[in-house]
Amino acid sequence: MIIKRFGAGIVLAFMILFLLSGMLLLSFAGGAFNMEAALLGVIFAVFLIVQYNVLKSIFKHLERFALLIADFLCVISIVILYRIDPETAQKQLIWILIGNVCMIVAMLVIKRTHDFGKANWFFMILAVGMLGMTLLFASRIGGAKNWINIGPFSFQPSEFAKILFLIVTAYFLSSRERKRDMWPYFLFTIACVGLLVLSRDLGAALLFAGTFLIVFYVGTGSVGITLGATAAFAGGALLSYKMFDHVRTRVEVWQDPWATYNDKGYQIVQGLLAIASGGLLGTGLGLGMPEVIPVGTSDYIFAAIAEEFGIIVAIGIIALYLVFIIRGILIAMDARTKFDKLLVFGATAMLSLQSFIIIGGVIKLIPLTGITMPFVSSGGSSMLSAMMQLGIIEGVALKNGEYEEAELEEMGGGVA
Amino acid sequence: MKKKPNLKKNMRVMLGVFCCLFVLLGTYLLYSTVVYGDQWFTTPYNPRISASKNIENAGTIYDRNGVALAYTENGERKYAESEDVRRAVSHIVGDIYGKSLGAETLYAKYLYGYDQNVVDKFNSAQSGQKGGDVYLTIDSDLSEYIYDNMSVGPGAVVLMNYETGEILASVSKPTFDPNTAKDDTEESGAKFVNRVTQGLYPPGSTMKILTTAAAIENGVTDMEFECTGEDIIEGQRVTCTSVHGRVGLETAFEKSCNIYFGRLAAELGDDIMLETANEFAYNYNFQFPNLTLYNSQFEVSGNMGDLAWAGIGQYNDLVTPMHNMLIAAGVANGGTVMQPNTLKDVRYGGVSSYTYTPTAFRSIMPQDVAAQIAGYMRNTVESGTATSANIGNATVCGKTGTAEYVEDGETKNHSWFVGYVQDAAHPLAIAVIGEGEGFGSAYAAPLAGKILEHAIDMGY
Repeated sequence: MIIKRFGAGIVLAFMILFLLSGMLLLSFAGGAFNMEAALLGVIFAVFLIVQYNVLKSIFKHLERFALLIADFLCVISIVILYRIDPETAQKQLIWILIGNVCMIVAMLVIKRTHDFGKANWFFMILAVGMLGMTLLFASRIGGAKNWINIGPFSFQPSEFAKILFLIVTAYFLSSRERKRDMWPYFLFTIACVGLLVLSRDLGAALLFAGTFLIVFYVGTGSVGITLGATAAFAGGALLSYKMFDHVRTRVEVWQDPWATYNDKGYQIVQGLLAIASGGLLGTGLGLGMPEVIPVGTSDYIFAAIAEEFGIIVAIGIIALYLVFIIRGILIAMDARTKFDKLLVFGATAMLSLQSFIIIGGVIKLIPLTGITMPFVSSGGSSMLSAMMQLGIIEGVALKNGEYEEAELEEMGGGVA
Repeated sequence: MKKKPNLKKNMRVMLGVFCCLFVLLGTYLLYSTVVYGDQWFTTPYNPRISASKNIENAGTIYDRNGVALAYTENGERKYAESEDVRRAVSHIVGDIYGKSLGAETLYAKYLYGYDQNVVDKFNSAQSGQKGGDVYLTIDSDLSEYIYDNMSVGPGAVVLMNYETGEILASVSKPTFDPNTAKDDTEESGAKFVNRVTQGLYPPGSTMKILTTAAAIENGVTDMEFECTGEDIIEGQRVTCTSVHGRVGLETAFEKSCNIYFGRLAAELGDDIMLETANEFAYNYNFQFPNLTLYNSQFEVSGNMGDLAWAGIGQYNDLVTPMHNMLIAAGVANGGTVMQPNTLKDVRYGGVSSYTYTPTAFRSIMPQDVAAQIAGYMRNTVESGTATSANIGNATVCGKTGTAEYVEDGETKNHSWFVGYVQDAAHPLAIAVIGEGEGFGSAYAAPLAGKILEHAIDMGY
């Protein structure tokens, strides 16, 4: 245990060093010293140290590495966002702070709950309602209709529907033995994915469908039905390819973005140019031109990071996500109830799938579908949702620790 | 009793899958940057190159005879002294503000020395190392001659050696002056657009070369038809400017009979026409190493009336002057089109680091078909619609075109001519277009003849 804590401390120290040196560099970027950048860095650094130590001392079974990786991703996010657009970085910091509150709330709720029971029916209606509302009232941003404006605030309901989807998934797959009793859940999944496709939010549709397949396979072990469902989704994808122009465009642009570099392929080409211009070691913070990348602060933030920090750091980020996934799955394996297992596994699977879809799209490994990069892309809804998923993982980790402690006490009881 | 699913085992399987996916992600990222990184970085669309342009160290742009067209003197970019020369070559040479797609942008990687040391791209630019000198294939005198002889209005002329693919001249009007390009704004004339490579026009009757090739390749050569000046094909009215009477393929080509070729295209059908168009590199994504050429378009709808119009270069047919010239070059060169090229070589401090080798682009038709069409094109200049392209010092073959378009509710005509010199000593292919200049025989054909005659006099 001592070695583990020591390791976590090093990660924290390295992260703080990265944050402070990055922000210091940015504060000198304009020639004159920019107090604001330095201040933002210090505030965030202090917050991280306090957050880590407070959480660690209150919750002794906290999963430290998952938390630190999420924090590290947030640090990278703040530094690169400040470099592209300081105002976005300030907003992002506020969202990270609110996100931490959400994470703690999610942690406590999950720690105290069994499986939400009948409330799941309400969650289903709420999720479908939110996605349906989006389809009806949302405004279109970047081809997808996934934003709802309420007064000065705009939010992406699909981000919050994710959390509900994860809970409902875990509930049905853990409480129903027979597959034929799961039909309300199947209908729910189809409704969610269908509504997302109709809103043209292809990235989210892919994410929901993929998460369903993965968690369903793990929960039931039924390879046949999983493959059947995969085939059904693939059929749906093929149908939408045939039916919708915007889907076809995505695939064409993926095959050859250079053919339409100044039009449809512009975004992908600019992303690839950014990555290529950075090379292995990057141009250095402040020396590239990530501001020319369309949506470089959000979906395309990975290209901006690759340009200025280089391919090596970009691969490091991919590795961070992978470590996060491994920690998440270990917690899932350790969980005592089937609901907890599937809930944590679902949250982990969704976050990993999401990072794979967006990074893969940016580097042109797979067709691009607009989706945010968890913990890194700018945007409130996305940050809160990712933080809540982290909260779910941490909540179950706490439960696991308490069970383990109880078991140890039972065993050691006779001796004492 | 059903076996309970083994969650842990399934999770381990998925963990394995995720590990593979993320390793793939990292590997692909590394692979694509190592393999394609330099190529991507040096594309002219990379705004980072133009932003970091270090004029101090930029190399000189020369024409094929060593005439300096753009050079740096006292930290300033200078261009040819004569305004006519500057304007005539403006689209080929380009500008340093990234407004046009000329050599200044396309060959920036040479001019600023990025190709020398791509590993530390920006450092080499900052180290003060001198960039490479770029030699173009164009002749600035010939370009100026063409510029002076074109009409005042918008249009384009492109002249190529069909055996090597070297572009000898490429002039697009309206032009811009690189000396004042900084403050120039795009006006209605879109002067920064290089009409030779970026201008998409209906090919009009020049399309009959393609329709004829489709007919010969598919053995539909003995169709005869009575032209009465007007015909209805599947509900669509097709007209000729005069009554051509009884025509076969050869006479129809010489006289450019719309009704005959409309009927012929409909007879051949959507599939054959589309297949031939694709062979001719319509709907093709051109990716030449040293120049950017926009894609041409040929569509079919299933309606024979539309196909008839497509067969005579209207409907949704669109072609760039360069592509249309390449088709004539293909006929001249036994069906094989050479890759067009504007970059002759690159020299660093006098030492050549890149020299272009002529490369075939593709064969657009078999040799015997090319020979037959060559005969038709010769007849067209000899006694058909293109007699005004006849010149004293060589045998010219060609095809005129009059492409209809509607502007401000008024029907106007683009004047087209594509052709070549039938002489191994003077392998010249040409395309001329004048926007709104009327019949092909009135503006484009005589101008093409005049340019070819001059080029031959100059020794090309």
